[in-house]
Amino acid sequence: MAPATDVLPGEKGGDLYAVLGLEPRASREQVERAYRSCLELYGEGSLATYTLVDPAEAEQERVRLREAYEVLVDDDKRRAYDEGRGFLPPDASVLPFPVAAPDASETELPAVLTGADLRKIREARGLSLRHIATVTKIGKRFLEYIEEDRFDFLPAPVYLRGFLQEYARLVGIDPRKAADAYMSRLEPGSSTR
Amino acid sequence: MALTVSEVLPVAARTRRQIWSVGGGKGGIGKSLIAASVGWQLARMGRRVVLVDADLGGANLHTCLGLPPPPRTLADFIQRRVSSIEEVLSDTPAGGLSLISGAADLLSAANIKHLQKVRVMNQVRALDVDVVLIDLGAGTSYNILDFFLLSDVSILAVVPEPTSIENGYRFIKSALYRRLRAAAPNERIRDLVLAALDPKNPEGIRTPLDLLARVEAEDPEAARALRRELAGFQPRFVLNEVRDVGDIAIGHQLVAACSRHLGLKASYAGYIHHDDTVWQAVRRRRLFMSDAPTSRAAEEVRQLTRGLVKGESLGSGY
Repeated sequence: MAPATDVLPGEKGGDLYAVLGLEPRASREQVERAYRSCLELYGEGSLATYTLVDPAEAEQERVRLREAYEVLVDDDKRRAYDEGRGFLPPDASVLPFPVAAPDASETELPAVLTGADLRKIREARGLSLRHIATVTKIGKRFLEYIEEDRFDFLPAPVYLRGFLQEYARLVGIDPRKAADAYMSRLEPGSSTR
Repeated sequence: MALTVSEVLPVAARTRRQIWSVGGGKGGIGKSLIAASVGWQLARMGRRVVLVDADLGGANLHTCLGLPPPPRTLADFIQRRVSSIEEVLSDTPAGGLSLISGAADLLSAANIKHLQKVRVMNQVRALDVDVVLIDLGAGTSYNILDFFLLSDVSILAVVPEPTSIENGYRFIKSALYRRLRAAAPNERIRDLVLAALDPKNPEGIRTPLDLLARVEAEDPEAARALRRELAGFQPRFVLNEVRDVGDIAIGHQLVAACSRHLGLKASYAGYIHHDDTVWQAVRRRRLFMSDAPTSRAAEEVRQLTRGLVKGESLGSGY
């Protein structure tokens, strides 16, 4: 049998994480983001796949994605699945650095958060952007754009919200409130994208 | 016949000198501008760079750099009117950056013979520089694919349009199957690779992964060889002329699609926005990197080049 290092991308279709292009122990936010992104990949008129798969195959892919997502997004189903497969549960304690204290999420957040505010909070926690990029797998460049308020360079709001929540979780502030406070400064129309 | 690495260079010559190439299948998607601007930026970063215009049928890299047609071109070397490739080098206004121009006047040069190709490749490899950056022409001819496959950094330019993406995939598949065919240990496996090239082949092989499964069943040893080739082929996408964040996201989707359907570990090296200052500079026959260094496109090329040097790519976002 070939050693595991010989497995090519696209071949490791064995588990539900691989269906979404994830590793076991992926965070809930990663599952959400991966699912949305994969759905887009096989959406109608997707530029990236229309020459590779026909409409019927795209539909099959969407069904597989939905089946994987429905298990991985449900805490009980995911626990049962992980146990059955021998996967460890998602766990922040494997992070290569200390995460913010859990009570930090009680921090009062202003109604509007700028990129500079986020940077201050992050630096106060002693976390580098590189650490955040490594753990969340969000490109470091995007994290920089977030902190620099370079809205032109930021991804679509649906992704941006995910990025912000992941960022917030790591620096120990309320993910939902932080995303709302940051995104309150974007043009209202743009949130429909 | 595909070039093999051992044929092209003796072991001792494998120094830290790197060959980079820019391909993409389709014409008019900015390959030459990407090559010129990335080369310019590499030189700014202190690298000694030679740009090679291998678009032998439609050479225009000199114009991208604001130069008149050089007196000597690659054709002079191929036709043996000069004996060494150094004699066809032209200086450019940027320190550290020189140019080997293509042969605008010589249509037949686009079909150079195998031995000539080996000679070009050997002399290009022997140039005393840090990076040789090759602007490949449009199309998927064997010469183009071989230069692409032999590069240390294989840059695949696409624009977010169906025609360009379709040709981009065709380019990747052609290059990949050429590589697999060269690595096939026997006639039977070579035939299977050839069959796979036809999308309606009776064997039912539709993707490189199908091919691999098929070979695995017949000849596990051969499958291992093909697997190595697949793993070693890592094209880097550059998305040119993006207009919004939706366009930027296409780069991530191309990487995901290559992984899921072609078994390839591609990466997303970066993107360059559609930018009128680029076009205005082209009209003035100037390179936007020097003409409009504060433009968004220039900043994006600087980021892209730094990423390529470090081997970094844009993260998938999840």
